[in-house]
Amino acid sequence: MALKISRTLLIISFLLAVLSPLSIFAADATESEGGSIDILGKTADHDYFDTAFGKIYLPRIYVINGDISFFSSTKKALASGEFIQTEEGLVRADGEGIDLDLSITSHLVYVWLGILFALLFTMWAASRYKKGIGSQTAPKGAIQNIFEILYLFVRDQIVFEYIPREKAGKYIPFLFSVFMAIAMMNMLGLLPWGASATADLTVTATLALITFIVTQVSGTKDHWQHVFNFPGVPLLVKFILTPVEILGLLTKPFALAIRLFANMLSGKIMIICILGLIFIFTDLFGPSVGVGTSIFWVGLTSVLYGLKVFVALLQAYIFTLLSAVFIGMAAEEHHHDDHHHSDLELLSNTQQSNNH
Amino acid sequence: MDFGFLAAGLGAGIIAIGAGIGIGMIGKGAVESIARQPEASGDIRGAMILTAAFIEGVALIGAIVCILLALGIGA
Repeated sequence: MALKISRTLLIISFLLAVLSPLSIFAADATESEGGSIDILGKTADHDYFDTAFGKIYLPRIYVINGDISFFSSTKKALASGEFIQTEEGLVRADGEGIDLDLSITSHLVYVWLGILFALLFTMWAASRYKKGIGSQTAPKGAIQNIFEILYLFVRDQIVFEYIPREKAGKYIPFLFSVFMAIAMMNMLGLLPWGASATADLTVTATLALITFIVTQVSGTKDHWQHVFNFPGVPLLVKFILTPVEILGLLTKPFALAIRLFANMLSGKIMIICILGLIFIFTDLFGPSVGVGTSIFWVGLTSVLYGLKVFVALLQAYIFTLLSAVFIGMAAEEHHHDDHHHSDLELLSNTQQSNNH
Repeated sequence: MDFGFLAAGLGAGIIAIGAGIGIGMIGKGAVESIARQPEASGDIRGAMILTAAFIEGVALIGAIVCILLALGIGA
């Protein structure tokens, strides 16, 4: 029974997912009658939260001269007369700067939702294991089985594989949370009216910063020695090598942030562009060609949606995997001094030492 | 005249060539080593995805530069 319901739910959500870009796009096309289509506007951060029943406006919070001013929406902020609308957003009417803009935006809400879903899922599973379902018996139900597969995957294939075994235990919670939260945030973008919070550079940069801090905190003496005082090279080479190593520390989280951001953004832009071909064809060859080929474009979009589900999980996996690799590299104790230093060689070293 | 679109299109093409060659070589190496040693396919797959992610990262940085060019940001 439960299986049947969940299967129906799955089919309905799949249909919704396939149809949603159409509805979003149709609404957008009518809005910009005769104008161009705002592709990046779909992926931008807004001061409202899009739902099926219209827009929910989010509060604007500013800190000015130590005072917090709170407005329940952008309109209220404008109505108060303290702010005026410009192209760069709201600015103060008297021309002075805003100290700190703590406004709640749609992407921030999606981050919270992603974390909330990850938390609820994990806490639900934890309560079941506490009751003994799964710990003394086999896990029951599809959802708990999925949870167990995900958890064991992160533990065995990511953490134990790349972090030295004696230190691996304390990183499992962090990496599993990162995995769940990113997967949930990515998947929220597949829902109708939804947006991926990870298609925003500020979100991914924050996630990468957390990984960076965890990596540096777990760095051993060897890790820092390899950065500032590379063993086994002449003094003159050290002057060149130390800046390079410091740069290497910083490029890792940078690449981590860009990778997740660009992957999630490109999927969204691609779908809008392919659906936009219907309108381009209508413009070039007339409505009959546009409508006639639309079956093909919509079919292609549905296939891309399937791919996006895969990419959403894959990117969560890759972010977690690379975080584990970086942490593992920093936390590793080196036993010999003449070491190679490219990431991949270090990686194969880790694997070899694990295999011994 | 504005060459932003031309630059973005050419750039995206060159990125696709580079990333294609790189990921193709990873795939070649991985398939060959799995064929030679099927029991190590798990480890090989992990290393393959990791390497592909590094290449993809570089390619995506290039792609972002192309997007910026096409949008005329910074022009």
